[in-house]
Amino acid sequence: MTTSTSEIARPEFLEIELDQQPAPERRRIKRKTINTIIWFVVLAALTAIVLYPLIWLFVATFKPSSEFGQNPGLIPDNPTIDNYFKVLEGIAGVPLWRFFANSTFIAVMAVIGTLFSSALAAYAFARVQFKGVGILFAAMIGTLLLPFHVVIIPQYIMFQKLDMVDTYWPLILPKFLATEAFFVFLIVQFIRNIPRDMDEAARIDGAGHWRTFFSIILPLIKPALITSAIFTFIWTWNDFLGPLLYVNSPEQYPLPVALRLYNDQTSTSDYGATVAVSFLALLPILIFFIVFQRFLVDGVATQGLKG
Amino acid sequence: MFNIRTRRAALAAAAVTASAALVLTGCSGGSEPAATYDPDEEVTLNLAFWGNDVRADLYDQAIAAFSEEYPNITVNSSFLGFPEFWEKRQTEAAGGGLPDVMQFDYSYLRQYSENGLLLDLEPYLGNIIDTEPLSENILGIGVVNGETTGIPTSTNAWGMFTNPKLLEGAGVEEFPGGDWDDYNEWMAEVTEAGGGDLWGGTDWTGRIQNFEIQQRAMGSDLFTDEGEPNFTEDDLAAFWEQGTDIRDDGTVITQQRLEEIYPVSGFDAALTTSELTWDNFGAGYLGNLGEEYTELGLIAPPITEEGAQDLYLKPSMLHSIAATTDHPEAAATLVNFLVNSPEAGAIFGTNRGLPASETMLEGAQLDPLGEQIRAYEESISDRLGDAPPVPIVGYGTLEEKFRQLGQELGFGTITVDEAVSQFFTEMDVVLNQ
Repeated sequence: MTTSTSEIARPEFLEIELDQQPAPERRRIKRKTINTIIWFVVLAALTAIVLYPLIWLFVATFKPSSEFGQNPGLIPDNPTIDNYFKVLEGIAGVPLWRFFANSTFIAVMAVIGTLFSSALAAYAFARVQFKGVGILFAAMIGTLLLPFHVVIIPQYIMFQKLDMVDTYWPLILPKFLATEAFFVFLIVQFIRNIPRDMDEAARIDGAGHWRTFFSIILPLIKPALITSAIFTFIWTWNDFLGPLLYVNSPEQYPLPVALRLYNDQTSTSDYGATVAVSFLALLPILIFFIVFQRFLVDGVATQGLKG
Repeated sequence: MFNIRTRRAALAAAAVTASAALVLTGCSGGSEPAATYDPDEEVTLNLAFWGNDVRADLYDQAIAAFSEEYPNITVNSSFLGFPEFWEKRQTEAAGGGLPDVMQFDYSYLRQYSENGLLLDLEPYLGNIIDTEPLSENILGIGVVNGETTGIPTSTNAWGMFTNPKLLEGAGVEEFPGGDWDDYNEWMAEVTEAGGGDLWGGTDWTGRIQNFEIQQRAMGSDLFTDEGEPNFTEDDLAAFWEQGTDIRDDGTVITQQRLEEIYPVSGFDAALTTSELTWDNFGAGYLGNLGEEYTELGLIAPPITEEGAQDLYLKPSMLHSIAATTDHPEAAATLVNFLVNSPEAGAIFGTNRGLPASETMLEGAQLDPLGEQIRAYEESISDRLGDAPPVPIVGYGTLEEKFRQLGQELGFGTITVDEAVSQFFTEMDVVLNQ
């Protein structure tokens, strides 16, 4: 995903750079136009190669199921739109929009939870001098080293005992408890680079920690928050294992779990429906990424500069 | 596929750790008073199965029929694809949260039974679960170490599918039966008639089941009751050597071609005219072949030894109950309904395979394919022997290794001797886990 989008972005970027050069003579301009065209063609070709799998996926959504395996090429022999109609009906009585709604709900809640809790935790680590801050910070970074698979079983037992299985709590609750150490770390680093003078000025004016956090720090860490929000959204949207373990009722499934229902190797696999629904599932995240891409680049860029 | 296997192996290791946790939860559960069965008690059961949306609809209908008969029992169902189903179960098993009633797979039965995760159904056999319509050798399939932990819903036998339409196009008669050499000759004939676009079949030495039936024809299962291997390196080498000629002279479809069309098989893609596999694969083949193909041939696999009982009935799936269930009687009632009732038979037909229970079979409206499977399983009754012992823990891994080695032999990247030694190394690892 990331690579392909940056490939698309590149020609624009280069063109702008070329345009910005001063062009005193007509001939220079002409040669520059030819250069631009060559660049454009080469880069467009490269983009097409990089995007080919995506294009294949899109075109394949118009293939009837029986054509998979017999016609591996790009163009379908008997194009049909039935896959989409079939997919929209949903699966096992659950309409497709329901899976989208479930995914959106989980992802939005996860974004809210992560931003809220990570920002607070990061503020504490970066600005509050409490006892054991060093050890706790190290411990938090340490959790980054723990692969998810190590904690699956204890975590499952915990939620099972809390009677939270088959609800969204196991997926959302941890996000509100700042368990995503990566984002806490990201924001801590960001806050550390904000001059302390600002906090001190606030303190002199009588602001406590809460006031300092909401009025001073929060507006300043916006780029880091946006970065965290984008990654949280994408990761949660694509998360498969978590929902697989904790959600039992088919009408509660988010998209990645529902996607697999179309492709069961032990009975008949509906490849046409699988690619159609895969493509539809890709759209929201593609749009989300294109819209927020600018902020993402901003966030990363400012972080780099602050050091 | 490979990823799933490795992950599964990792989870299997986790499951071992988990059994310790289970002992703990088991203790706390033991102090409760024994549940007495109240037929009117309001009970909620969780039911989990794997399958696609077609099967999910059928289960919904079956649950509706069940609820009509037992209004006090509410059934919540949950379904997933096969690999995801087992991924979820492994974690649940560790956390003590298995669903009350599960559709179960033969290859996992031993592992879950030996870890004490499944309820021994013995107390319910003959009363809540009707055993009359289930024959002795069908009930025997779900027995692990003397405990009945699963009831088969349906059976499969190893068979050979052929594609009559392609054969007609090539102008070759259906395989008339015979030994493995006859089969190879027949395949060569098809391949020649096909002129490069059509092959007689796939290299059959890539499937462990073909090795199994050859071994059974000689009178021994692949593994003993204790789970020890029952064949030598020479046996395996001799088996794989049989494939050397048909691979080298191009009788069977090349591995390269198979890779191109993956995940479907050569038979699915109408590139081969025969395939040795389980007899319930027909619907999947027809689905993948597309509308031009309406019928398949289903015949007995080549004979290794005249008169030997090399084939056997395998459950295509079983129903099991979790040891941790709070309502074993209600769960057993549901299992009985799903395994025995004519209503379930009428609803499922052959979706879960040919019904194993006579009462369920009576209720089932068999589609032409189902009728064909039924006729096939009847036709091979002389060749059907006792089912082999319940597969060893890790059999799935071995089956996959066997398939991969078959592929490598197809590519010509390893020799038969290397393949044999690799397989025995893998088996060592699996058995000594």
